[in-house]
Amino acid sequence: MPPPAYPLGYPSGGPYPPGPPPYPPGSPPYPPGSLPYPPGSLPDPLHARQRLHPLSPALHGAKSLVVVIAGLSWSTLSRVGFGWFVAMVIVIALGATVLSVVSWYNTGYQVVGRELRIHEGLLWRRTRAIPLERLQAVEVVRPLLAQLTGLAELRLEVVGGGKTEAPLAFLGVAEASALRRRLLSLAGPRTVSAPGPQLAAAPAAEPPVPPGRPLHAVDNRDLLISQLLTPQAFLLPFGVVFVAGQFLSEGSWSFVAVASTLTAMAGILLQPVRRVLDDWRFQLARDEDRLRIRNGLLETRVQTVPLHRVQTVGVTWPLLWRVKGWLRLRLEVAGYAAGEADQRNRPDRLLPVGDLATGEAIVAEVLPGVALSSLPLSPPPLRARWVNPLSREVLGAGLAEEVFVVRSGLLTRQLTIVPYARLQSVRVVQGPVQRLLGLATVHADTAGGAGAAAVDRDLAEAWALAAELSHRGHTARRTP
Amino acid sequence: MSGDESVGPASAPPVAQAGPLEPWPDTVRWQSISTDLIWVELLRLSVTVAVVSLALGVGWAVTGTWLFGVALGALLLLAGWRAVAIVRAVRAWGYAERENDLLVRHGLLVRRLSIVPYSRMQFVDVSAGPLERAFDLATVQLHTAAAASDARVPGLRPAEASRLRDRLTALGEDQAEGL
Repeated sequence: MPPPAYPLGYPSGGPYPPGPPPYPPGSPPYPPGSLPYPPGSLPDPLHARQRLHPLSPALHGAKSLVVVIAGLSWSTLSRVGFGWFVAMVIVIALGATVLSVVSWYNTGYQVVGRELRIHEGLLWRRTRAIPLERLQAVEVVRPLLAQLTGLAELRLEVVGGGKTEAPLAFLGVAEASALRRRLLSLAGPRTVSAPGPQLAAAPAAEPPVPPGRPLHAVDNRDLLISQLLTPQAFLLPFGVVFVAGQFLSEGSWSFVAVASTLTAMAGILLQPVRRVLDDWRFQLARDEDRLRIRNGLLETRVQTVPLHRVQTVGVTWPLLWRVKGWLRLRLEVAGYAAGEADQRNRPDRLLPVGDLATGEAIVAEVLPGVALSSLPLSPPPLRARWVNPLSREVLGAGLAEEVFVVRSGLLTRQLTIVPYARLQSVRVVQGPVQRLLGLATVHADTAGGAGAAAVDRDLAEAWALAAELSHRGHTARRTP
Repeated sequence: MSGDESVGPASAPPVAQAGPLEPWPDTVRWQSISTDLIWVELLRLSVTVAVVSLALGVGWAVTGTWLFGVALGALLLLAGWRAVAIVRAVRAWGYAERENDLLVRHGLLVRRLSIVPYSRMQFVDVSAGPLERAFDLATVQLHTAAAASDARVPGLRPAEASRLRDRLTALGEDQAEGL
């Protein structure tokens, strides 16, 4: 359903005839004269067509090993016996490794002007040109294996792509940082002229610690406590007792049954555990007009989000966290489809856990002039309680100076902040019950995430709200 | 289901919904879409109904179970209601071009109004299926970077569709600002 906003790459075949072998590494297929840089800087490796790191096929193969074992599952193990199981795993993993060697050999990337070109494919050759003006965020991810081998994966987010475009896996850490810095400097809003000084700075290797002014670092203890205060962690003891009771009463302790139960338990606990692992040592820093987010224990990721790419900021107060007065902040960047299966790959964490003062400081940093605790929220009219008997008090919407704010959620309270300058469209929707009550819902759509919806407003107010939103959106776009 | 309204673009705002359901009556001039779309939709509906009722009828004749008869009756009833809804829905569909944005409203049970600024436009689709072409109609759809944006205007004459498309692209270029 979400259509690509512009053609991102070529269909099969690409701009090259399918016949000739891939270009030897190092020789740029484009005449040097077409590059907008002085010839003196041409030895810069970022201009020539580059291969990914030679270790990457091995890492891909190792990664597929886990998938293969998970896919074969416990029941296969019990059916075919251990020896055959291991043999199957080895055969499949070897096949996967060979495939990744082939794909590694045929994959290359190259920065040409203000474009990143990625070549891939053996039979269906494809060259994808990514205009860097459209770059929304860049992320350096280092899974555990990559950390051990000193490699990193570079992920680019572009608008219109249903999923993360162009994961460059894997590059050396220094290379990845240099490429990221270079891409971001090219992608900046006003870097049309003079890439000279940035070029000089680019090859310098960069420590994985985010540079710039540190804004906040999350205490690991708080993070642990916050994840213990989730329904999964809370309900786990009951689950264990229930399952143990079942086994005791039936008296059957087959290996497969126990293993399956343990796997299911791990599945339930996976989310909180993963959150802890993902958000460990969470650091937020501001580097000029960019946010640098660094997090992860086993898998380190460094995300860079230009501030003018932030579409919405969401604040969540989970029920159990209210004891501590904690909240969670997340941000939405265009380019992440709302339904993307892998939630972890969305760079949506702005603050995994923190108190109101911290949240307020960070929101003020991301959206200047927005005070989290003093937002003008008004509840819907009293007759909206027929539709929302319990949560009418919680619902709220308001127009602040720079942003549109919406609050919802009885148990898990949520606040969504949309800057007027990021509004894509405004919708007013009225269902049959709402028509009886004279209510309507106003949606403010943004390019990333679900946008904000002011639920069950008085109809006249809804029209006024829609008019005001489109007017303010217009003026905000005029005066960036 | 009101009386016969004039076919083609209405000069005066349609009177189907009055009062508070009609936002900003003094600044917005709503254009209605061609009533030929009613025939397109009715034909689509009748094809579907014909196929399903044929299947049900065969099932009834073969098995002789009265449940098939009930289903057939329910289907015809539903089709009749849907036909009425189509007529009213097409009459209710409207769009308006303002200085900075395009307004589209549609829906009867759930009423929707979309306000899409021209500057947010990513691309415009003009499409016409075989049935629509037979009735000389086309659909214009405006896409923004937000997946939820919903600005689709069906049942336009080809000339009007290309005029709208050209106007939208021209205005979009004038005011463009990606995201």
